[in-house]
Amino acid sequence: MTDLLLSRIKGDVSSSGTDEYVVNLGPQHPATHGVLRLIVKLDGETIKQTTPVLGYLHRSIEKICENRTYPQCITYTDRVDYVSAMTVNLAFALAAEKLMSIQAPPRAQWLRMIFCELQRIASHLLWFGAFAGDIGALTPFLYGLRERERILDLFEMTCGQRLTYNYIRIGGVMIDVLPDFVQKCRAFLDYFDPKIDEYEDLMTYNPIFLERSRGVGVVTPEVGINCGFSGPSLRGSGVSCDVRKQQPYLYYDQIKFNECLEMAGDCWSRYRVRMRELRECVSIIRQCLERLEPGPVEAKMPPILKAPPASEAYVRSESARGEMGVYLVGDGTPKPWKAKFRCASFSNLYLLDQLTRGWKLADIMAVLGSFDLIVPEVDR
Amino acid sequence: MTNEELKTKVEANLKDSLSSIAMSPQGEVVLTAKPDAYLSLAQYLKQNKEFAFDHLSSLTAVDYPKENKITVVSHLWSYAMKHQLTLKLDVPRSAPSAPTLENLWKSANWFEREVFDLYGVVFEGHSDLRRIMMPDDYEKYPLRKDFSDDGFIVKPN
Amino acid sequence: MNLFSNLIAKAGETLHWLYIYLGVARITDLLDNVVVVVAMFGGTSLFVMFLVWMERKVSAHMQSRIGPNRVGPLGLLQTLADAIKLTIKEDIKPVNRDKIPYFIAPIVAFVATFMGLVVIPFDNGVVVQDLNVGLLYIVAITSFTVIAILTAGWSSNNRFALLGGFRSAAQIVSYEVPLVLSLVPVIMTTGTLSLNSIVLFQKTLGMWFVVPQIIAFLIFITSATAEANRAPFDIPEAESELIGGFHTEYSGVKFAMFFLGEYIAIVVSSAVAVSVFLGGWLPFPYLSAWPVPGFVWFMLKLLLMIFLIMAFRWTFPRLRVDQLMDFGWKVLIPIAILNILITGALLLFFGKGA
Repeated sequence: MTDLLLSRIKGDVSSSGTDEYVVNLGPQHPATHGVLRLIVKLDGETIKQTTPVLGYLHRSIEKICENRTYPQCITYTDRVDYVSAMTVNLAFALAAEKLMSIQAPPRAQWLRMIFCELQRIASHLLWFGAFAGDIGALTPFLYGLRERERILDLFEMTCGQRLTYNYIRIGGVMIDVLPDFVQKCRAFLDYFDPKIDEYEDLMTYNPIFLERSRGVGVVTPEVGINCGFSGPSLRGSGVSCDVRKQQPYLYYDQIKFNECLEMAGDCWSRYRVRMRELRECVSIIRQCLERLEPGPVEAKMPPILKAPPASEAYVRSESARGEMGVYLVGDGTPKPWKAKFRCASFSNLYLLDQLTRGWKLADIMAVLGSFDLIVPEVDR
Repeated sequence: MTNEELKTKVEANLKDSLSSIAMSPQGEVVLTAKPDAYLSLAQYLKQNKEFAFDHLSSLTAVDYPKENKITVVSHLWSYAMKHQLTLKLDVPRSAPSAPTLENLWKSANWFEREVFDLYGVVFEGHSDLRRIMMPDDYEKYPLRKDFSDDGFIVKPN
Repeated sequence: MNLFSNLIAKAGETLHWLYIYLGVARITDLLDNVVVVVAMFGGTSLFVMFLVWMERKVSAHMQSRIGPNRVGPLGLLQTLADAIKLTIKEDIKPVNRDKIPYFIAPIVAFVATFMGLVVIPFDNGVVVQDLNVGLLYIVAITSFTVIAILTAGWSSNNRFALLGGFRSAAQIVSYEVPLVLSLVPVIMTTGTLSLNSIVLFQKTLGMWFVVPQIIAFLIFITSATAEANRAPFDIPEAESELIGGFHTEYSGVKFAMFFLGEYIAIVVSSAVAVSVFLGGWLPFPYLSAWPVPGFVWFMLKLLLMIFLIMAFRWTFPRLRVDQLMDFGWKVLIPIAILNILITGALLLFFGKGA
């Protein structure tokens, strides 16, 4: 550890005279959050301060994008959040389309919505397993992954990939879906609906789970908004912040869905929000499948996409974790002058220190799990 | 309110704090603040009831070596009024420094640390300005356009 | 000539010594005891190997997986393969350890729990030694594990192992109180501490003790799970995120002995629960006509209890340390004491027939 970091940790909180020691929750984690390092200052069992050390997964994606053409950048966006790759693809595509005034055809928009919602379900299922595993219940992880396999099968059917799709492109999607996709998707939704009830039975009202997550890590709405919290985590505090409702993109204003809000702001509320969102996603996909009509899936665009000189665009969208923003600055060439990814996990992680002071060590895992963090988003 | 209304309102109330205001061809309202009026402008935008920008969505910087400036770009959103704004500040490239927005929006804390880390812009008044992605003893600013990586030299212990 | 007579004299001396100091009247008695001990040891080891396989299969099927199925038919030889692997592993020892306690701790952990099997009745009168203080003996013996854990944590010369050892010891000590308190009503009713007699009492009573003493049974299972450091009380085991627990610095055979000790603790607790509450080797109600030896009934009930304890691990999340201690002291102990008072009152009013 460098002197700067060490002095900040040692000097920040006044010593209470009891034996305080600094512990490293190292970059290698048994939990599936990724390569995140937390330096925790403890007084016995109680946490005095948590300092996240970032940068272990920094791949300079933003710098790389400055040297790639706009379509080439889409491959990199998959890696920004590989658990929820479709939504990042979409965010970049929307920003580039706004920059260059391209309009994707309707079929492409509906397909984009279907895949983003399927991706949201897949991401929430992985979160469900990881959160339960952090708390100590090891079985729900396998149940979540079992369902996720079916969604990944649908993705593989369409674009050949299970994790990093490169499917949603500027101007539309890569390729049209196979003829039996709609029927297979409906079959999956019918299979999946009762499974959500199974998961709720297992975890939601389990007394041990309630004790571990109720009242732990409470985020008040004011603190949440001020600290840049977003997504299902902020909806757990009762703030209506869904970008799909606030600034509707694609055709979200043409379909009916509820924004899931819970009032308490603790880990349990955030858990409940995501479980309810699973059901909402199923309903959204059903509506989109009905409105799907034949047509082209890619807009007519010039062969080389050039942004107008001295142009810029900032588009916010709702990824599985929260608000995903992409800021593009164009300079008249086929490559972006600047690309910035505003990721939900980066802003959410800031609150970890505030929420865990005075709590026990095991609560770090509970709070971190309820934030649904993905470290590649934090570091980019 | 819509972006046109927003632009007219801002122009009417805050003309002297701005060095320029424009509606971009993509339909976004872009303000460039005068350096000494930046902080008070941001405060006004947050606290005034008509604007009510309570959410700092993103804070980043763009490097323009040809014009010898680095532009600090903030994107603001209002949950109450549902409108969006882009706030810019130009700082000279040789001694880049800007006032911190941390006291208005806590989310600026880590965003500004990232800008400091990757561009070298010093934020005055920031509570904890140190690098966030790169190691603490790293000497260069990676996202600047003139960054050249001489390769990674491993120092022997 | 001299040599031969010397040998006979020496043999006679040894026998005389054995007679005086160990009470062995005949060679055959000594051989009896040796054979029984070896049989117990061998049988238990085989049974524990089977249990490890069972745990992996049970957990797999509860999680929609298959579990071991490659090594041997149905994966039955998997534990043998794991045991061989652990034996040929390199024995990594910390340099600054406390040598003798480091060596002794796993042995004590294993031996202490194993000694609890001495008083378990597998069939009517089929006990290694039917002590008339059987239950007291078991409770006393299982307290040895605390010593083993503290010794392991201390001698590892590792701050986190020590802390993990402290936590585990605190957990075991706090859950021993409800464990004993839940057995007291049964002891009050039967008036004896010998496990075989308790089972016989249930035979004359006509019903198993689980029926009148259901609360005591539940408290006993909970405390037994906590005693064995199993989920949902597995803070020492699963704290590998931060603190490895008392067994961090152990590898190879020593590590295996700790876990063997844990499984045997499960077997002993389940066996006690079966004998005291579930009627031991008595047949299931309405099935007493079946020509099945008592031993088979006992094993069936034992496997049922062990399955239950395994199912706990894969269903519930983990309790936090302070919640765990709260639960033991503030919930289980008052309920157990209440149970004793009520049983005592009923016994007073209705005599021994209750």
